[in-house]
Amino acid sequence: MKLKTSKFGAFYLSLFFVVLYLPVLSVILYSFNASPSTAQWTGFTLDWYRELFRDRVIVESFKVSIEVALLTALLSAIMGTASAVISMWVTDGMKKAIQGMMVLPLLVPEIALGIALLIFFNSINLPFGHLTLVLSHSLFCVPYVYIMVQLRLKEIDRSILESARDLGATTWQVIETVILPLVTPSIITASLLALAMSLDDVIISTYMSGAKTTTLPVHIFSMMRVGVTPKVNALCTLILVGTFFIVGLSQLTKKQNKEAV
Amino acid sequence: MQTLKRNILAVPIVVWIGLLVGVPLLFVFVLSFLSRDSLGNIVVQFTLENYQRVFDPIYLRVFLNSLLLALLTGILTLVVGYPVAYITSNLEPKKRALSIGLIMLPFWISSLLRTYGWMILLGNAGIINNVLRALGVIDAPLSMMYKFSTTLIGTAYMLVPFMIVAIFNSVDKLDRSLLEASYDLGANKRQTFFNITLPLTIPGIAGGFTLVFIPALGLFYVSDLLGGGNTIFLGNLINTQVTRGRNRPLAAAFSMAMIVVAILVISLYGRVAKDDREGLFQ
Amino acid sequence: MKNRRFSLVIGILVIALLAVVVVRYVNRGEEAPGEVNLMTWGGDFIPRAIIEEFEKETGIKVNYKEVTSNEDMQSLLEASPDQYDLAVTTDYMVDILRQSDMLAVLDKSKIPNYANINPVYHGAYYDPNDQYSIPYAISISFLLVNPEGVESLGARPITSYEDMWQEELVNNIVLIDWSVEIMGLVLKSLGYEYNETDPVKVAEAREKLFALKPNIKRFETNTPEDSLVNGEAVIGFMYSNQAVKGQQARPNLQPVFPTEGMPIYIDSWVMSKQAPNKDGAYKFLDFIMRPEIAARIADMTKFTSPNKAAEAHLPADFKNNPMLNLADEVVENTSFYIGVDRVLDEYEHIYSEFKLR
Repeated sequence: MKLKTSKFGAFYLSLFFVVLYLPVLSVILYSFNASPSTAQWTGFTLDWYRELFRDRVIVESFKVSIEVALLTALLSAIMGTASAVISMWVTDGMKKAIQGMMVLPLLVPEIALGIALLIFFNSINLPFGHLTLVLSHSLFCVPYVYIMVQLRLKEIDRSILESARDLGATTWQVIETVILPLVTPSIITASLLALAMSLDDVIISTYMSGAKTTTLPVHIFSMMRVGVTPKVNALCTLILVGTFFIVGLSQLTKKQNKEAV
Repeated sequence: MQTLKRNILAVPIVVWIGLLVGVPLLFVFVLSFLSRDSLGNIVVQFTLENYQRVFDPIYLRVFLNSLLLALLTGILTLVVGYPVAYITSNLEPKKRALSIGLIMLPFWISSLLRTYGWMILLGNAGIINNVLRALGVIDAPLSMMYKFSTTLIGTAYMLVPFMIVAIFNSVDKLDRSLLEASYDLGANKRQTFFNITLPLTIPGIAGGFTLVFIPALGLFYVSDLLGGGNTIFLGNLINTQVTRGRNRPLAAAFSMAMIVVAILVISLYGRVAKDDREGLFQ
Repeated sequence: MKNRRFSLVIGILVIALLAVVVVRYVNRGEEAPGEVNLMTWGGDFIPRAIIEEFEKETGIKVNYKEVTSNEDMQSLLEASPDQYDLAVTTDYMVDILRQSDMLAVLDKSKIPNYANINPVYHGAYYDPNDQYSIPYAISISFLLVNPEGVESLGARPITSYEDMWQEELVNNIVLIDWSVEIMGLVLKSLGYEYNETDPVKVAEAREKLFALKPNIKRFETNTPEDSLVNGEAVIGFMYSNQAVKGQQARPNLQPVFPTEGMPIYIDSWVMSKQAPNKDGAYKFLDFIMRPEIAARIADMTKFTSPNKAAEAHLPADFKNNPMLNLADEVVENTSFYIGVDRVLDEYEHIYSEFKLR
């Protein structure tokens, strides 16, 4: 049965997106503001875009952020999914242990986690940089993947697994043919969330980035004391436009592929 | 032997997370019993003073304040996010992917900037006030900033995708035949929703609540910027004590208290969610 | 078939990303000899343009670690003292780091331009013998006022902290968000000193502080001047560099140096005891203390410079700005927050109660 989206539904969804994007549009609008402060609009300018391309710190820190976020999303997707899938086989006690472990990183305040990890990683002589950033970020991203995947796995009928087993499927075959296809959408959405969270983390990154690595959010936050310039708004505008462009392009090629077939 | 074999794969995961979270947690726990010297540096000397101060009436009010904010954020994101997740899951696959993509996309932008975005919208000389003034609806600017409600809106805005994604995951895998059966038995849309859909998606709601409630307890810059620092939440308190307050043992004690409260709350509605589900299948 | 392609894509992704990590990790190992690692407030607190000039001239690469609090600097420095050469940190933190034995004694013979520093700033409480620190940026806190705004509310003109308690000013004041600073303001308005510990005086200040609550619009540490620029407040208690920016955006805003006295901050250079590249660090310090460089830094950052020789190179509008070129009677009316750790806990508690009202 296909439920039809009612008119009200479409209206509600559109309204939600308007509210969701209003602050984003304000950010974009003020990337063209001649005044360096958000307190007032003093005229249109493209100077911030020009300055952005001259600013090697922003560009470099953005690169670091992207690298860390991709690695974090990947590591979290693997670890989170593995934890959720393994949870299906282990004993109840172990399952509880995994569950508890997974909520823990969300419970500890970020600043406490950041300082504690600083001392911990330092004591085992881990150099601060990409490695420590990815390790610490995946710590608070894995639980999201785990929770999302697990929510979906909960509904798998035990009988499906048993019948698959009865038909002679090995555990790995069950995972590959039954479980993974089922949870892939959850993994993708959860990885996107993990990506976004890694891209946005400030507190932990402050302590985890070394003397030579800065992530974009750390850079933006530390700017606060002297004022965040619209250069940052300009960068975010470009990120958004770029994402829209890539998504649009991939849609287009998909369509063409289909037509070619 | 059988148990051991079943559990062996889980060991690396438990060890990995256990090490990375367990060690810091242990550190925070130990720190919360330590004292400071005259320079504000930590010295190894056992004290219970930090916990005594957590139960100070003023700081207890900060706790309640934060619990209220986190609870209201959970409710607001649920009320706003449930329909979004529900409608999205009923869309055709292509539109559905688009909708999910559009929900995620703003979160590529630094949350600090998006908070500034809200300030641009709601401020005295902000966009909304200017538009309303140009339309002649108002004479003097509406005061929309630096209130508890402004903080609530900002916090809910930051966390709503977690709620949506969690609920979406559980609405999406709903067995449609159940709904069909319900209609066949003569139930109307509303009855079907409250008797079938809602109970079946309670795990999603509980999951979403966890993902919204806990971060809402700890957020601080949203209330600093949108709330104008006019009241204090746990996140602000811990953050201040770590930095300018120079009292990390006290911050550690607050952190421990926060962890305990969060665990209590989670287990509370975890139980509620479970009872409901079991009731359904009995 | 489809599954296999999917796995292939994932596999390639994993390998590519792992390669990135490995390359980065290995790169980290080879410590380039010509690098200086410094740590301080972000943005352009040390202008990047100046840093680039230094890099071009000497071939030494400068890594700039950005932090948001003095305490973060302390944590990072304590965790890896051999990773950082230089830091710019606020007076009280210099005191703490010095007493915690984290700092190197500076060899002034390697910094000829140290002679440019105004002797007025020698021998400050945080470094009595000028062994460990060199002042970099000076700021004071005072009131930035919108005189027309105050008048239109029917309040008397503002000349002192005391004037902030007028009931006409309801919801019209923005304050820096720090307990010690706000308690300091109230103590001064009562004629007492900063960081008072006498319970009677503190209790008196507490009551007076609570009476100020209705007048406060907002607490903001980073950009309080915005509230005066967009007109939501008519009085702001803020740092000098913020007030300068506020006045630039809205020229009718006027500084008021409260008669009761003001706090002063000196952000100073310090060197880690285990600095990996002390020679490079000395070169950098000497570079930024050149008169014309120091003048440009002061103009870019809007902080008063402790560099006496830089004064000749400052642009006219900087020299004529009373918020930047501080008059002697203003400087004489300022004092440091000394011994913050004695009062912090109590002030924080009072401040929390104040905010919850």
